[in-house]
Amino acid sequence: MAVPIEEAMAALSTFSLEDDQPEIQGTAVWVSSEAGATSSPIEYSDVSAYRLSLSEDTKALNQLNTLIQEGKEMSSIIYTYRSCVKALPQLPDSMKHSQADLYLETYQVLDLEMSRLREIQRWQSSASSKLAADMQRFSRPERRINGPTITHLWSMLKLLDVLVQLDHLKNAKASIPNDFSWYKRTFTQVSVQWQDIDSLREELDDLQIFLSTRWAILLNLHVEMFRVNNVEDILQVLIVFAVESLELDFALLFQERHILLRVLPILVVFATSSEKDSESLYKRVKINRLINIFKNDPVIPAFPDLHLSPAAILKELSSYFPKFSSQTRLLTLPAPHELPPREALDYQRHYLIINHIGAIRVEHDDFSIRFASAVNQLLLLKSTEGADVEWCKEIKGCVYDMVVEGLQLLSRWTSRVWEQCAWKFSRPCKEFPPLETSESPTSFSDYEKVVRYNYSTEERKALVELVSYIKSVGSMMQRWDTLIADALWETIHAEVQDFIQNTLAAMLKTTFRKKKDLSRILSDMRTLSADWMANTSKPDSELQSLQSGGEESRATFFQPRPVAPTAAQVHCLQFLIYEVVSGGNLRKPGGLFGNSGSEIPMNDMKQLETFFYKLSFFLHIMDYTETLGNLTDLGFLWFREFYLESSRVIQFPVECSLPWMLIDQILESPNAGLLESILIPFDIYNDSAQQALTVLKQRFLYDEIEAEVDHCFDIFVSRLCDIAFTYYKSWAANELLDPSFLFALDNGEKFSVLPMRFTALLKMTRVKLLGRTVDLRSLISERMNKVFRENLEFLFDRFESQDLCAAVELEKLVEILKHTHELLSKELLIDSFSLMMNEMLENISLVSYSSRLASQIWSEMQNDFLPNFILCNTTQRFVRSSKMPLAPVQKPSVPYAKPNFYCGSQDLNSAHQSFARLYSGFFGIPHMFAIVKLLGQRSLPWLIRALLDHISNKVTTLEPMISGLQEALPKSIGLLPFDGGVAGCVRLINEQLNWGNKSELKAEVLSGIKEIGSVLYWIGLLDIVLREVDTAHFMQTAPWLGLVPGVDGQILQSQEGGVSPIVNLFRSATAAIISNPGSPNPASFQTMAKQAEAADLLYKANINTGSVLEYALAFTSAALDKYCSKWSGAPKTGFVDITTSRDFYRIYSGLQVGYLEESARLQPSYEVLGDSIAWGGCTIIYLLGQQLHFELFDFSYQVLNVAEVEAASMTHKSPHTSQGWEVLLEAMKKARRLNNHVFSMLKARCPLEDKVACAIKQSGAPLHRIKFENTVSAFETLPQKGA
Amino acid sequence: MARAGGITNAVNVGIAVQADWENREFISHISLNVRRLFDFLVQFEATTKSKLAALNEKLDILERRLELLEVQVSTASANPSLFNT
Repeated sequence: MAVPIEEAMAALSTFSLEDDQPEIQGTAVWVSSEAGATSSPIEYSDVSAYRLSLSEDTKALNQLNTLIQEGKEMSSIIYTYRSCVKALPQLPDSMKHSQADLYLETYQVLDLEMSRLREIQRWQSSASSKLAADMQRFSRPERRINGPTITHLWSMLKLLDVLVQLDHLKNAKASIPNDFSWYKRTFTQVSVQWQDIDSLREELDDLQIFLSTRWAILLNLHVEMFRVNNVEDILQVLIVFAVESLELDFALLFQERHILLRVLPILVVFATSSEKDSESLYKRVKINRLINIFKNDPVIPAFPDLHLSPAAILKELSSYFPKFSSQTRLLTLPAPHELPPREALDYQRHYLIINHIGAIRVEHDDFSIRFASAVNQLLLLKSTEGADVEWCKEIKGCVYDMVVEGLQLLSRWTSRVWEQCAWKFSRPCKEFPPLETSESPTSFSDYEKVVRYNYSTEERKALVELVSYIKSVGSMMQRWDTLIADALWETIHAEVQDFIQNTLAAMLKTTFRKKKDLSRILSDMRTLSADWMANTSKPDSELQSLQSGGEESRATFFQPRPVAPTAAQVHCLQFLIYEVVSGGNLRKPGGLFGNSGSEIPMNDMKQLETFFYKLSFFLHIMDYTETLGNLTDLGFLWFREFYLESSRVIQFPVECSLPWMLIDQILESPNAGLLESILIPFDIYNDSAQQALTVLKQRFLYDEIEAEVDHCFDIFVSRLCDIAFTYYKSWAANELLDPSFLFALDNGEKFSVLPMRFTALLKMTRVKLLGRTVDLRSLISERMNKVFRENLEFLFDRFESQDLCAAVELEKLVEILKHTHELLSKELLIDSFSLMMNEMLENISLVSYSSRLASQIWSEMQNDFLPNFILCNTTQRFVRSSKMPLAPVQKPSVPYAKPNFYCGSQDLNSAHQSFARLYSGFFGIPHMFAIVKLLGQRSLPWLIRALLDHISNKVTTLEPMISGLQEALPKSIGLLPFDGGVAGCVRLINEQLNWGNKSELKAEVLSGIKEIGSVLYWIGLLDIVLREVDTAHFMQTAPWLGLVPGVDGQILQSQEGGVSPIVNLFRSATAAIISNPGSPNPASFQTMAKQAEAADLLYKANINTGSVLEYALAFTSAALDKYCSKWSGAPKTGFVDITTSRDFYRIYSGLQVGYLEESARLQPSYEVLGDSIAWGGCTIIYLLGQQLHFELFDFSYQVLNVAEVEAASMTHKSPHTSQGWEVLLEAMKKARRLNNHVFSMLKARCPLEDKVACAIKQSGAPLHRIKFENTVSAFETLPQKGA
Repeated sequence: MARAGGITNAVNVGIAVQADWENREFISHISLNVRRLFDFLVQFEATTKSKLAALNEKLDILERRLELLEVQVSTASANPSLFNT
């Protein structure tokens, strides 16, 4: 029968279930098939089959269990009770007449709630009487029924605990009596018209007494119990049992431990308050043991936000139980708020997780390693066939040990969390952090005092760590549940059988031989649980079992059977062991096992005791998933019903919520270690939601949790993205910092970025959140896509608010962003950077070549750069004119952004900013590089075109002004006479060139020429940069395309046959692949070869691009053609026109002298125009073919010539003749140098066509049609020396 | 004390217990394997989900790409005259 299942399972295991999602969350939901073995799923109905006459006991047990169940529901009703009165509306004055209606409505609403309370009152009285009756029945010394069994004792304790909790809760909830008194008032109002209300009134009075009396339930229980005076015995037994279990603390999980701790003070009070020998208790249990227990745990968690304190309870109850008030030793125990400071400090050390986290970390690491290795061994075992039995047993035993250890660890850890909470609740914070707002500490709610400000940063971190340990160990153990289940069963089976068949057999043969009664019990134990057949399957074991009849007590060998005993079996075994030990006598003095007066030898006693406690732990192991679920349930951290009520608010703000505080803590101080635990606090929400639905059964709580989770998760995702983005940004910015700069820096480490591990978080595609699955990864990538776009947008906005010099900074920031994108893309799938860039540049359209950036640069150039910047030819830089801006510019203010939109951290920002600042004062080659890089091949041509259009526009606008100036020229200006000297020349020039009424045109023409010059120089810079970029590009592609540079700058094809190396390479690779028959996908290689050919073509076409500058010059030349006739009139005589020429060079020459003079007079004037005026003027002159005319007839040149002659002739006379003119002369010399530079550059870049002109021989005869090299019509009529 | 050693028909009970062990072996075998099946399904769901998530991610990217291409094409086809010259 088993084969098909095995086969089916094997078939399933062939499925690939690999999953790349890391396990950084606790388990959420699982399938649990054990219906909770801890309490028998069939209510111990199978116990009767063992014929131990336990039917009475079983019946009583089930009754108690039902009561426990009901009681828990009652307490959750009270716990989640929220005041209705607070929500009652107030009637406005206008509606006073319908007051009666309101009373009726109110009454109806409250009646429903009060009926529940009435039900609770009824229930508690019936539960108390049933519990009391049960105790009385089973404690009669002459009892005729078997029992109570250990399970029964537990049920009594649990029911007692439920009653205590209910009472405690009733005392704590102030809103219930409040609501009740309102209810009563409305009742009196409403019931006026009713008849026969006496019974109702009586009932109400009863309820009022019940609600307003403290500890009403316990008092009632006490009365019920001591109706007959024989419960002392069972109370003592319960106390002994509780004390021993607590002292041993082996088989207890934390919930059971807390139950015992809560119940024990009540039991002690009850036991000592009886009429007769109240001191007999201390004969069985020394008072010091009790005090020790109470002292060890001064606060015990009761409800999520409610704790109990044994000392306080004892004190309070002493006023109700006069007998007990004589127990001064117990009454002097200090309650948690009365602890002397030193002791409080000791307890604090004990309670705060932070003091234990180191040890816990070690435990966790050690345990996870050993558990994993045990599981691995088990896996190995399962894959080996015919493994050795002993080895099998050892490995399975090891797994069992690990599970026991794991459950105990979890129990210890979770109880630490509970206890720390209880401790914190008992000691509210007294010192508050300084607040930015002017709130006084008194305005803090109690909950803020106990939670929000009560956990220091370190404590929160420790709590997160512990919670994540609990959750991760829990989920690790959960994951292997089905794998290890049979190993666990087998080990338990073997343990039980070993005890039953070997240990008991040995005992029967030796110690118990003579004791008929006891040995009967022992053989009963054997009967009801021995699995004899398990050892018959192997022949040698059969042999052994035969031999075991003999004297030697050899251990019998068992064939393992993966079946655990049932709850009923464990129940019976525990009962029988207890019977053996106690002799069935409740009054037997001493403890359970620590009994010196017993007839059973120590050794056997020890064995029995060990087995007894092991049995109770078996139940937890058999309940594997259930136990794990209980132990890792941390939902209580969210609940705050008690404080909600005492603070009179509907709900606390999210900052007060402990789970969110933990998340917030991790987000606030991103710590590499804790970051991966960031999803763990969401498990707390999962747990609380689960509790709200299944334990407390309150829809509104779930709704509140859901609302909080939704809110928190949104914040969490956005902040996580922010942190991740900042981290990657800083990382990128750090990598892009100059290493030599970092090396030279003393405090370079402040720029380094501490590594953080986002990898795991970024892989989370299934975050479990309140039963939903959230794809965190896609949420993050969605946000990242947005953030990158926003960042780009911001950078462009920022650039738009600055001038052109910010191009370098922009380029750097974009580069950092790009690198960030690159780093993040390794973890996350986000849109490609170029796509986002294009999108933000508004450059998507196929038919538009401008982009946001290009148009910005263009408008910036038009409005600010060209009018306001001046060129310095030497440094090749444009700088802003120091004069007042000629054209005022309106710019948007610099937008604000968080540091992560720049470079990440503040330090990195300042580092990068100080680099950027170096480039912010000028415009030069680096800026051009930045612009070329930013615009790319797509938008650059658009910009160039715009600039060229600008030139031609300028020329057009200049034309009328120039002609105006032409008109203003005097009819004739001769060559400057040498006899006046420099002073005479200057005077002459000033006289002649006053421009008449057109002098206002002068400045405009000059600035126009300057702009043309600037544009041309700008294009010159662009040309330099493009050359460099092209060269680099060429260097990269040339080897692949098989190109080699030739001698005279030509590019030669190195390969014969015209096939470039790249095409060759792919062709041969494809051929090789195709010839290999085993190749999986030859078609793709063929495609690749095709693509290589395409790439070859594309790249070859891009090689050898032309020069932008040359093109621009040609363009300008073409633009000037239109005005050629106006600006360079052909001389009517055919000879060079010296005196009456109105050519452009003449105008320019006049303007140049003008501004040179001006600049000589007031120094800064020169800075208005800069060097670009020379570039503009000389280019136009050159392109008009007037270079030589200009060089000959320029006024300043003539002045310089005069000055030279003057200087040469007057050196011996008086060196001071030209004094006063040095500055002007210097400026003229400088201008000449500059002009010469421009002309030589132009000659090199834009050689003019040879022109045919006529010349005059030295003899005087004209010579027609002579070809002049590189000249225009300058020499038309001039004598040529060589000719 | 005689109350406790109360198994009245020890032999019969012993036989029944033995039979019970064997029956329960079968039951636990079945139930364990059913649980393993469940486990498989749960895991299968989980891995399938993450595979689907990966697929979804790729589709998202493609979708956005496609959208971009569509926009580009539409800008181009909006003024066909540019391509006729």
